[in-house]
Amino acid sequence: MTGTRGNLLPVYVLADESGSMGPYIQDLNRGLAALHEALLGEPMAAAKVRFSILGFADDVHERLRLADLRRENELPALYARGRTSYHAAFTTLHRRIPQDVQALKAEGYAVHRPAVFFLSDGQPTDESWLDAYELLIDRNRTPGAPNIIACGIGQVEAATIVQVATQQEYGFGAMGGVDLGAAIAQFCTALTKSIVESGRALGSAQPELVVQQPAGFRMAIDVV
Amino acid sequence: MWSEVTADPFPAEDWPSADEARHAATNGTVYRAESVHAPRRARKLIWEAREIGVPITDFEPKPADSASYRPDSVADGWSTDHFTVRVASVRGYTHRFRGTPRQDDVAVSHHQPTGAVVFAVADGVSAAPHSHIGATSACRAAVTQILADLTQGTPVDWQNVVRQTAWQLIEQARAVLGVPELDPEEAEREVATTLVAGLVLPTRSGPMAKMIQVGDSSAWILHGRSYRCLLDAKFSADDEVFSSAVTALPRVPHVTPRGGPLDPGGVLLVGTDGFGDPLGDGSGDVGTYFAAALRRPSPPLSFAYDLDFSRETFDDDRTLLAIWPRDDAEQPR
Repeated sequence: MTGTRGNLLPVYVLADESGSMGPYIQDLNRGLAALHEALLGEPMAAAKVRFSILGFADDVHERLRLADLRRENELPALYARGRTSYHAAFTTLHRRIPQDVQALKAEGYAVHRPAVFFLSDGQPTDESWLDAYELLIDRNRTPGAPNIIACGIGQVEAATIVQVATQQEYGFGAMGGVDLGAAIAQFCTALTKSIVESGRALGSAQPELVVQQPAGFRMAIDVV
Repeated sequence: MWSEVTADPFPAEDWPSADEARHAATNGTVYRAESVHAPRRARKLIWEAREIGVPITDFEPKPADSASYRPDSVADGWSTDHFTVRVASVRGYTHRFRGTPRQDDVAVSHHQPTGAVVFAVADGVSAAPHSHIGATSACRAAVTQILADLTQGTPVDWQNVVRQTAWQLIEQARAVLGVPELDPEEAEREVATTLVAGLVLPTRSGPMAKMIQVGDSSAWILHGRSYRCLLDAKFSADDEVFSSAVTALPRVPHVTPRGGPLDPGGVLLVGTDGFGDPLGDGSGDVGTYFAAALRRPSPPLSFAYDLDFSRETFDDDRTLLAIWPRDDAEQPR
């Protein structure tokens, strides 16, 4: 490590763009826009985040890569399309994250463990995604293996959301009737702030990511 | 007689729009941090910190929201027969922006009979709401305990320094909350803090430094342009990613004092991660800057101004203690 140019947190929004997400896609887009606005009001937190948006359905469309949100006029939109391949989503992330971490380090930055926001209704149309998922989160096999916060949206299969979250307390389900866009924005902003500050979790030897339950969501484990 | 006010001193058309503020972030234009709410004339630099690389957006800090007075910055400096001391603790840019208190603190004292300079540097854990009180209490408790051992003429019992400091922290948390009893876990949630505490002592073979560490504050010896880290640092070159998790008081880990001789021409530095993170291994811009700035002692307020440098993404509180052995010091017999 040389004298560092800065400390960065790579954040990935991994959003389900499958057909079943159709009724919620606009909420997601509003949530991303609100998140963008909120971070512009927190310039020091924004300076530490590099933001990527990946939309997945049959395949993965990269909507944004390692962006400094202070330099973006608006965020790209998500679109409902096709089926829900979790395998494609996790395989793409597994390829992408080590490349991104290396690229940022090569620019002289120190890099926090990446955070992934997984937004889905928890109804994958493929069954073979678990191997790709296990590989992605395995810290021995994947350099910079991420923490995954999973948010269930719509007609949620809560068990799947719990399975995708890297810790039980990182799995959430949206409650009916909430302003989903605002809830997502609030959640992401709070998380960004907490993650870039020195964190401490009681009773844990290696706390890294303190996630509080977002307003409008409940722990997915409670609804399993 | 009062004259009639005919013009709005801050006309709305002078305020930058959200788009302008966004544009400013991309081309380096300096606004106040609350740019979309601030008058256009506030583009003028306000804080005027020293810039190292890309600076943090300049803005006027908010007052610290704290029940007791907590100054934004403290600076101190003096010399003994053997050492010259400079110390500063400055509030981080995020705390200034949000109006939260400086959670770092420092205490440094001279033990006249032995000539030792005794010090403590603490970084309150941001998740603990009264950690600024914890940091102050920890520094003072640790220095008091080390001074007491020196006065007794016994070797400093470093494990006891940590125990006594932890106990003081729990007592302080109890007083802050106004409760008769408080268990250590509750105290940790309120006042947790890191600590480096130690001393430099003039000896027949030259000055010797000794210190203990709880958490990620650290210490270095600067020689010319090279920094030698004396304690565990947060970073390792082999780490793929780094973590901001810390061990903190009032937990009482087993500590082993570390140290060694402070050679002529060397400067002992003790600092929180707000200084250590941007320093890294000292080979970058921040290391180069401080190697020059610390070649010899500067006036205490200049020392504090140097420490308050502006560099993007480094917005934590910073505390730095520097101790130079005096060239003209007579060695003890």
